[in-house]
Amino acid sequence: MASEVAAFRGVGKSYGRVRAVDGLDLVLRPGETVALLGPNGAGKSTSLDLLLGLREPDQGSVTLFGGTPRAAIADGRVGAMLQSGGLMTDVKVRELVELACKVHPRGRSVTGVLTDAGITEIAERRVDKLSGGQEQRVRFALAIAGDSDLIVLDEPTTGMDVSVRQGFWASMRAQADAGRTVLFATHYLEEADSIADRVLVLHRGRLIADGSSAEIKARAGARRIAFEIHDVDLSSAAVPFDETVLRALPGVQSLDVTARVPGVRTVRIRTADADAGVAGIYRAGLYPRGLEVTGVGLEQAFLTITGELDKQDLAEESAR
Amino acid sequence: MTTLIKLEILRTLRNRRYLFFTVVYPALMYVFFINAYGSGNQAGGLPVKTYFMVSMATFGAVGAVLSGSAQRISLERKSGWVRQLRLTALPGRAYTVGKIASTAVTTLPAILVVFVVGATQGVSLSAPQWIGLAAALWLGSFVFAALGVALGYAAAPDAVQPIVMITYMAMALLGGTWFPVSGSLEKFARFNPVFLYNKLATFTQPGHSLDLVAVAGLAAFFAVFTAAAAALYRRDTRRA
Repeated sequence: MASEVAAFRGVGKSYGRVRAVDGLDLVLRPGETVALLGPNGAGKSTSLDLLLGLREPDQGSVTLFGGTPRAAIADGRVGAMLQSGGLMTDVKVRELVELACKVHPRGRSVTGVLTDAGITEIAERRVDKLSGGQEQRVRFALAIAGDSDLIVLDEPTTGMDVSVRQGFWASMRAQADAGRTVLFATHYLEEADSIADRVLVLHRGRLIADGSSAEIKARAGARRIAFEIHDVDLSSAAVPFDETVLRALPGVQSLDVTARVPGVRTVRIRTADADAGVAGIYRAGLYPRGLEVTGVGLEQAFLTITGELDKQDLAEESAR
Repeated sequence: MTTLIKLEILRTLRNRRYLFFTVVYPALMYVFFINAYGSGNQAGGLPVKTYFMVSMATFGAVGAVLSGSAQRISLERKSGWVRQLRLTALPGRAYTVGKIASTAVTTLPAILVVFVVGATQGVSLSAPQWIGLAAALWLGSFVFAALGVALGYAAAPDAVQPIVMITYMAMALLGGTWFPVSGSLEKFARFNPVFLYNKLATFTQPGHSLDLVAVAGLAAFFAVFTAAAAALYRRDTRRA
């Protein structure tokens, strides 16, 4: 139990007839940096609300450090930044951060928190006069106001432009480097790819993938082979071109052959086993020109995984 | 928790709208009323100057606690600040306690400024009477703080604003704030907390002691409002 930061066990939560979280089983371990991915309405925010004790599950149990979420928060073991986390108005940034540091059982120095969140320059500004990105940083400061073991961030970089976002990632990484467990929800896949060492994919309230970003990509049939077949080469090799040869390659998930220029066919293959695929192409006596093997991004992987599930769901529904 | 309370007081005092509507406005109204009524006359069994000094002090105090609690609570529920606070080690009640404490502190200027104007206009009371009256009005304001908390948890900001205004104005109108109520109106006024609140002033008159019926009535209202506030608060917590 000691090596368990957070645990969802058979957790379900509905709003009326909508099943927001459906049988969620999940354990977070110390020191992990975990990204929670999912399209809008996948149940990310509800899951975080359940984790933080802001909502009660209908079924199952949620524990933080082996106890209730409330107990963990009262002990100062959790710092959190909510997506809809309004801020106190009519106060200065410094005053608000001071409040957060003082009420935290393991509060840090105000100066340190302001520095880590990158808001030292705006410390004397009134909270109601900040831009969206600055507000996000103030919310982040509230989440890191104490020496917490777990930092939970719900879509922390929403409303930030690209350059600011990358600066923010450095702040997030610094939290992970300090040995804290970091859990963040996002719909920026790049964010998950570059920061998280574990990625959870939530879809319609269910956990459909759980692994490193590389594993998630692999699961989606993660590589693409592209090349051209020139008729000139076919005649010299005395092998007629036949698509079925390509289709029979190991691990092929999709095949696309186009012939825009006479005598030149462009072939694109998505495959779970690119190494065996390339070997097979040569073994078939083909001479691929401009051969490229590329990995698909997490974005593509994500779309593939959720897309497959949508198809399954549709099939199940129509079978009923 | 004291940090939160201190910050709540500070931000309320910083708010210019608060200062105008709860401190400056009742003082101006006071000067207007005593001139309109003729300062030598009687109102509701009291000299006009004393009567309106109390009614304008209660007007400011009720305004301060209602807007300070009801509107702020409902706005901060909507903005998510209440949720954010629930993610701190502060106990759940800290937020509400902080709101009541800060409004209680901020009603004092509303009462005292009108008293100072009253004294300069010639209201003459003994030192114990001044202190007793200020204390009575200050304690009475907690009844409305409890009502404010209940309203703040009852509805969303765009609904709370008109509800607060209507409640506040109706209670003031029928509670003797702008003119003394008498006759058949007085029968209903006994069920109006502002009327009872204004009644606290009568002990300053020779031969009168503190109106215990009014005190009992206010205590009953306080109990009802507190129970409502607690129930609505719990409902809000369950909804997250």
